[in-house]
Amino acid sequence: MTAPTRVIPYPSPADKEDRAGLPQWLLTTDHKRIGILTIAAALFLFVLNGALALTMRAQLAQPNQDILSPQQYLQFMTEHGTGMIALTITPFAIGLGVYLVPLQVGAPRIAAPRVTLLGYWLYVFGSLSLIWGFVTPRSGAQDGWWGFNPLSYGDYTGGYGMSLWIAGVFLAACGMILMSTTVLWTALRMRAPHVTLMRVPVFTWTEIVTTLMVVAGFPALLLAQLINAVGRIDPALVSGNGWDILYEELFWFYGHPVVYVMFFPFVGCVAESLATFTGRRFFGYNGTVLSLLLFAAGSMAVWGHHLFASGQEVNDYFSLTSIMLSVPAGIEYFGFLGTLWGGRFRYTTSMLFALTFIPQFLIGGLTGILIANPAIDYHVNNSYFILGHFHYTLFAGSVFGFFAGFYLWFPKATGIMLNERLGKLHWLIMTVGANVTFIPWFILGYDGMPRWMATYPAGAGFTTLSLISSIGAGIIGISIFVFALNLYESARAKVPAGPNPWLAHTLEWATSSPPPRFNFNLTHPVPRVHSYAPLLDAREQAPREQAPREQAPREQAAASGRAEVAGRAGEEA
Amino acid sequence: MPFESAFSQLFTQDTIIAWVVFCLVVLVLTGSMGYSWYRGRRGQGPLKAVKATRLELGYSGALVGMAIFLVISSFSANAKDYPGTAPKPAMAVAVSGFQWCWRFHYEGTPVTATGQCQGLRNLPVLVVPVGEPVRLDVTSADVLHAVWMPQWRFKLYAYPGHVSSATLTIPRTGKWISRCAQLCGLNHYEMWFWLEAVPRAEFASYLKTGRL
Repeated sequence: MTAPTRVIPYPSPADKEDRAGLPQWLLTTDHKRIGILTIAAALFLFVLNGALALTMRAQLAQPNQDILSPQQYLQFMTEHGTGMIALTITPFAIGLGVYLVPLQVGAPRIAAPRVTLLGYWLYVFGSLSLIWGFVTPRSGAQDGWWGFNPLSYGDYTGGYGMSLWIAGVFLAACGMILMSTTVLWTALRMRAPHVTLMRVPVFTWTEIVTTLMVVAGFPALLLAQLINAVGRIDPALVSGNGWDILYEELFWFYGHPVVYVMFFPFVGCVAESLATFTGRRFFGYNGTVLSLLLFAAGSMAVWGHHLFASGQEVNDYFSLTSIMLSVPAGIEYFGFLGTLWGGRFRYTTSMLFALTFIPQFLIGGLTGILIANPAIDYHVNNSYFILGHFHYTLFAGSVFGFFAGFYLWFPKATGIMLNERLGKLHWLIMTVGANVTFIPWFILGYDGMPRWMATYPAGAGFTTLSLISSIGAGIIGISIFVFALNLYESARAKVPAGPNPWLAHTLEWATSSPPPRFNFNLTHPVPRVHSYAPLLDAREQAPREQAPREQAPREQAAASGRAEVAGRAGEEA
Repeated sequence: MPFESAFSQLFTQDTIIAWVVFCLVVLVLTGSMGYSWYRGRRGQGPLKAVKATRLELGYSGALVGMAIFLVISSFSANAKDYPGTAPKPAMAVAVSGFQWCWRFHYEGTPVTATGQCQGLRNLPVLVVPVGEPVRLDVTSADVLHAVWMPQWRFKLYAYPGHVSSATLTIPRTGKWISRCAQLCGLNHYEMWFWLEAVPRAEFASYLKTGRL
């Protein structure tokens, strides 16, 4: 036996964590429960921050409205931006990793689960801190999700809201760093025997590069918020152009990698969905892995493109690095399209979201190459064009990728199927809503509409397109309602999922749905892994025996005493 | 006007490339859907191939070539906007943003203009001579602001305690709206001003009398 083998201690049956009580959930060290808690908290904030967005779109539907005062508008906008980026989509990205990476690498648990749990609670308290700002006198933070100084300092922004914002952003970032380190450590050091790094699923690779970027990029945000915190206590200590620029450089040193943190895991979701529902192994795996690593490394060298119009940045260098990112991005698309070509499509809800991700994210990516040119950015920077660009990447891209993953893995995590008919309705309405909302923004920005506008005068020429966009936002709202209805309906109908309802390829589908406490056991051993699609290998070798729907849907672990991860016992002997 | 011409040329070129790429991807996407249907009708399972190394290498090479082309056009456009040696300006204007309006001081003259940033009626006006290079020295009195002249594809941030400069040449007479493009607090949405280009003689009299 040449491959190194490790004995992973198996739990004793005295472990009480399988119980369903509230304390057992809130203090769990089961990565699956922490993952579900993270996604649930982020979904709640997704709906909350989406409701704020709908209110803002109502305010902007017509000129000179006062549904929101300028102060309320800026508070809603700040909470929407920070909330969606730091408290919703980043936690979606990391939470999926917490749930899935140990399963996909055949590990019984996540590395340092108490650290993961601490990270989760830091994230929750960070989010509460931001929301708390809304009920303080003079109300919430109102300085945008960047929180640029000196506007954020005590001289210009009074009240407690901004201070609570700084605390909240700091705590949530600490939480994401802690959670990411444990996901990274699990993927690198806790893989089952034979699961080499080049045999982990594409999704796990996207989590590896994502967590690397979190570890490398997020500390800069912590430093930036220390500057802001000092500035709120004594602005004189950190005033002057040097501090302003330092804050911006630090902020974007976090702020650009975070863009890809909110992108790669959803590339992983789409990749797994496409491979599953075309019945094909993901195409060009090696190229995709290499491009992910190049992309992550490059993401650390592009932050300055946010400051093209500052007059204080090395524009050509950052234009070079930013445009060069189109190469690894193009290679990832090669993998997507290569997987599609020659597949046998099954148009499930997950597949529809994944297929829609491809052109919609591409709009965000291609406009991203446009604005990587300083000469173009001098016009569209800080306009609705930029908002259109990053809402195409984050909403029409990443959120669609998230739903591709959500519909794919919901049966695994809960043991029940989601309603496909309602799911497809959700997809259809959301696709229409996203495009009706965000296409007008490119034109509005090109025509000169700046960001952060609490309202606009009737003669400015922004009225028609703003109204169309607001209608689109309403359509998105309806789609979220359909999604909630689907969750309710499916929870009521309780259609059992079985271990592998989609005939998927990766290790998490080899165990029960939901998986047992330590992921694999004697009834659900880790199968031998020869490639990044182990279950497909097995099906192709023994096509008849492996018809997955025949397996018992909810087999429970009956392991007792100290067992070894099953399937490995023979090797150890 | 360097900013406008560099923008138009580059934006047109890159938008065409973007549309071509978008259409190609959508073509392969819909093509795969059709091919899947066709294979289904013939009872064929999914293809087994997992890589096409030579195709991928060629494709990656094409991507690198395209990226290099885009980088070169980016550099050349940016060099038009901010040339190593800017043309000698006929006039230098100190543009200062403050919460929440603008102040324009014509350097070397006693003329300072401001206005009321509320609605569109009494906005401050930045008057410049037509067809001549004008240097804007942009700064701020308090928080960050940004000068944005959408018509002329020009934007520059205003930082307190720092002056950023750019040289513009407005090629024709007229009056265009300009806006603050950096979050600067509550009334950011109203922080607009007019840019007005006038013939040389009118500009000279403006400098003397402070009005047009």
